[in-house]
Amino acid sequence: MATGGGAVAGQRARARESRLGRRGYSWMTLAPALALVALFTLFPVGYAAWTSVHRHVLVLQDRPYVGLRNYQNAIEDPLFADAIKSSLIFVAFAVPLVTIAGLLVALLLNQRVRGFAILLVLVLLPWSIPTVSAGITWRLLLHGDFGAIDGFLYRIGAIDEYIQWLSSPDLAMASVIGVHIWREFPLPAILFLAALQTIPPELSEAARLDRANGWERFRYVTLPHLKAALLIVLVYETIIALSVFDLVYVLTGGGPGSATTLFSWFTYTATFKYLNFGQGAALSFIMAAVLLVFIVVYMRIVRVREEPS
Amino acid sequence: VRRRRRIANTLYACAGVVLALVILIPFLFVLSASLQTESELIRRPPPIVSPNPTVDNYEYVFTGNVPAAYASRELLRGTVTQDVRQIPKGLRNSFIVALGTVLINLVLATLAAYTFARERFRGRHAAFFFILGSRLLPSVAVAVPIYVSLRSLGLLDSKLGLVLIYSAFTLPFSIWVLTLYFRSLPAEIEEAARIDGCTRIETLRHVVLPLAAPGLAAIGAFSFLFSYSEFMFALFTTETPHAKTIPVIIASVSVNPDASYTLIAVGIVLSMIAPIVFALAFRRYITSGLVASLTRG
Repeated sequence: MATGGGAVAGQRARARESRLGRRGYSWMTLAPALALVALFTLFPVGYAAWTSVHRHVLVLQDRPYVGLRNYQNAIEDPLFADAIKSSLIFVAFAVPLVTIAGLLVALLLNQRVRGFAILLVLVLLPWSIPTVSAGITWRLLLHGDFGAIDGFLYRIGAIDEYIQWLSSPDLAMASVIGVHIWREFPLPAILFLAALQTIPPELSEAARLDRANGWERFRYVTLPHLKAALLIVLVYETIIALSVFDLVYVLTGGGPGSATTLFSWFTYTATFKYLNFGQGAALSFIMAAVLLVFIVVYMRIVRVREEPS
Repeated sequence: VRRRRRIANTLYACAGVVLALVILIPFLFVLSASLQTESELIRRPPPIVSPNPTVDNYEYVFTGNVPAAYASRELLRGTVTQDVRQIPKGLRNSFIVALGTVLINLVLATLAAYTFARERFRGRHAAFFFILGSRLLPSVAVAVPIYVSLRSLGLLDSKLGLVLIYSAFTLPFSIWVLTLYFRSLPAEIEEAARIDGCTRIETLRHVVLPLAAPGLAAIGAFSFLFSYSEFMFALFTTETPHAKTIPVIIASVSVNPDASYTLIAVGIVLSMIAPIVFALAFRRYITSGLVASLTRG
């Protein structure tokens, strides 16, 4: 800024900025980001709302207003109830199991044991790779004819016949949930570990001197410190579990039958397989509405937590 | 008491080994599978490690030289193995798209986050609320309308279209992480710079950014990992090898019932290299960024 040209340019920039004013500057710096985000979030939700009350089928040119008929058709589809049921089952198992797995891993990693530093690195791996890659890897492992897991169980004599992990209805759902947990546990583990590390060691020490056993120390010292993280993980993982798509695509394709047709998968098939955009939009809108509830809950939790500071 | 401590430590170590195995076995399996020949892999039960590993599968993906082990079965596998040849192109596309998204994030998120962190103006809360809320909107809920709007913008089947979508989906997160980061920096240095006559932009560039490197590293790593791996939008909006990213290519190969398992494994291994390198290189920033962004609002 010492050279003459720089100073002049600087003065000009300052003059420009002061003319612009504080509000002008603020909105100018926000506008590009806000516009981009709005273009792909606000606009799509609005558009979905509009499309959902019109007939919008790719092969037909005219798009008359049809009221709530798209919603009615979507809901009356016998597969709709199935999809809701599948999604509920998925959420009911995946969310608690992911949370517990993350908590156990965090409690383990919080111990001072030699060599655990390497575990902290490893834990990130399942989370860092593309979901699609994780899903296909597990598809090969679980393959009912050549899968390595069946091969291993067969070799050690645990099974006489290969198990159809992905093509028998009950096991398929359990397998998808299992793979989801494998991929998703690192995030809660990291959050819980961070929360655990904020607990002053003196507290646990004091409890130990009071002759509290392991469970009591966990229940009365550790758990209260994890409450906030626990709530956040539960709500966040519910949002994630409700929107699972990639895993279903590569693991089961929604089958066998409709055994793993989660709601997001149902929406996808309605739209892109049958090219019924009106009905797809109606389903998307239902989904966005449900998710919005969870998002608002999530934001309230994080807000409330911040207030004291 | 000391003996109990020792027993406990042994138990923890055992649990640690189990955890490491659960994490690593799928990776080792797919690596080993990519180095085998098809006839070995589909034996029942398959060998744990191939007695004679081969890199022929990798060579085929990159050069098109059909491995000797396939030559006899080429008639069976002809069309499918062709798909695998798109993998190098897909890796390149994913890389370009991811870098483009990172770049947009670094510029736009920095500008916006600095304003959120330091300026007070009307509408600030509303704008911030909007950013916070849209951060969690999952892609499935807006996939259809985004497909339609991309079509009307003429951006279907293009890398630019993907960069725009991914930027929109990563920006809220980046802005949030950076805002938290900027707020944690002491404001006094910036005030001093302002008194010395720097404009806001100059202060941001010369004073704040050098201090904010860890925050920038975190958002760079996040937006890279997200856009490199994103599947659903890439699946809906791309059609040709010109724009298809690596997750789309390996997914379409893998759901083909005739696909060769060894070649699928090669695709998976190749698709995981860049994200793993990135995640490990930026591990510290990723961890702190995740914790801050998810637990503070």
